[in-house]
Amino acid sequence: MAIANESHQEEKNMHAHHGAGRYWLIWGVLLVLTVVTVVTGRMHLPSFGLLLALVIATVKGTLVTLYFMHLAEHRGANRIVFGVSIVFVVLMLIIPLADFGTRFRGANPPGSQYSDLQPPDIGTGAQRGRFGGGLRPHQTKDTPETPEPGHH
Amino acid sequence: MQSSAHTADGTANVPRLAEHFASLEVQNHAARLGMWLFLATEILLFAGLFVCYGCYRFLFPEAWAAGSRSLDLTMGTVNTIVLITSSLTAALAVHYAKEGKNKMVGVMFALTLVMAVGFLVIKYFEYAHKFHIGTLPGRYYFYEGMQMPGITLYFTVYFCSTALHALHVIIGMTVLAVAMVRAFKKKDFGPNNYTMVELGSMYWHLVDLVWIFLFPMLYLV
Repeated sequence: MAIANESHQEEKNMHAHHGAGRYWLIWGVLLVLTVVTVVTGRMHLPSFGLLLALVIATVKGTLVTLYFMHLAEHRGANRIVFGVSIVFVVLMLIIPLADFGTRFRGANPPGSQYSDLQPPDIGTGAQRGRFGGGLRPHQTKDTPETPEPGHH
Repeated sequence: MQSSAHTADGTANVPRLAEHFASLEVQNHAARLGMWLFLATEILLFAGLFVCYGCYRFLFPEAWAAGSRSLDLTMGTVNTIVLITSSLTAALAVHYAKEGKNKMVGVMFALTLVMAVGFLVIKYFEYAHKFHIGTLPGRYYFYEGMQMPGITLYFTVYFCSTALHALHVIIGMTVLAVAMVRAFKKKDFGPNNYTMVELGSMYWHLVDLVWIFLFPMLYLV
């Protein structure tokens, strides 16, 4: 039976005992990658900063799933479940982003990068009237009114 | 099925085999598969917030840059290191559970829990600072240092994702605490019985995995 074979193989792999050294090694690599991502992140690289950070995060995530979560030793079904969930995450990201990226400008939220309309005043600043739902209205008495550009 | 070298542990500590499973290894396989299915739903849960992040970042890149620079990178980095290290101890707990060293399993989970508390304490200081200066979600935002379209959305995404993650930290701590108490009291983990340690530790790794993505997204770019 295929299922029983798969279980047997997985059990064998999980029992093929290796030393704890592997976990320490993965931990070291994860720490190094964390330092790399912080250092490159602080440089505020203009265009590929986000891409680089996501690539590093993906490498770290892969190490965690393969070795800490033992996916490397697991068989078919577990891998399919995990792989399918990742495929759906990617689909879920691509489809809405493709929608926003190809919209008629007027259909994007006012105030956004892809819109010509002014943002609506939703009363965020302390000077703007609603005090964030009543938080700290007393502060405005001391501070002079600072007019927002384009809002009077 | 198992090597006879472990009989001292093995015979005493074999978990109950449910009738509908052909053998213990099929039962363990099913437990693992169930855990992976559950983790897949967890990944998709967080992916919903990642989609919000992606879409609003696309629309409000300046607000996103300003928002991420206003966070405390040092605290974020320390938290990342703490969480990765706690993942290491959780993985080592599985390693010791397979060898039947129950005391070490308990110690490793205790270390994991200490680091989890550390993570939450640091998170508390970050939250307290934000409540103080007013970088809060939506209409509760009252920070004057940053006023631009979309900035409130950044902090909505920040609070939703980190709070959901913190909730998962607390759930994971509960699971690991139960396993830790069992390792210290019942001392019945061994080469044939470590599913509870393994699955609990998998959940903890998921918490780490989510943070590995949240950290650069929120703090760095």
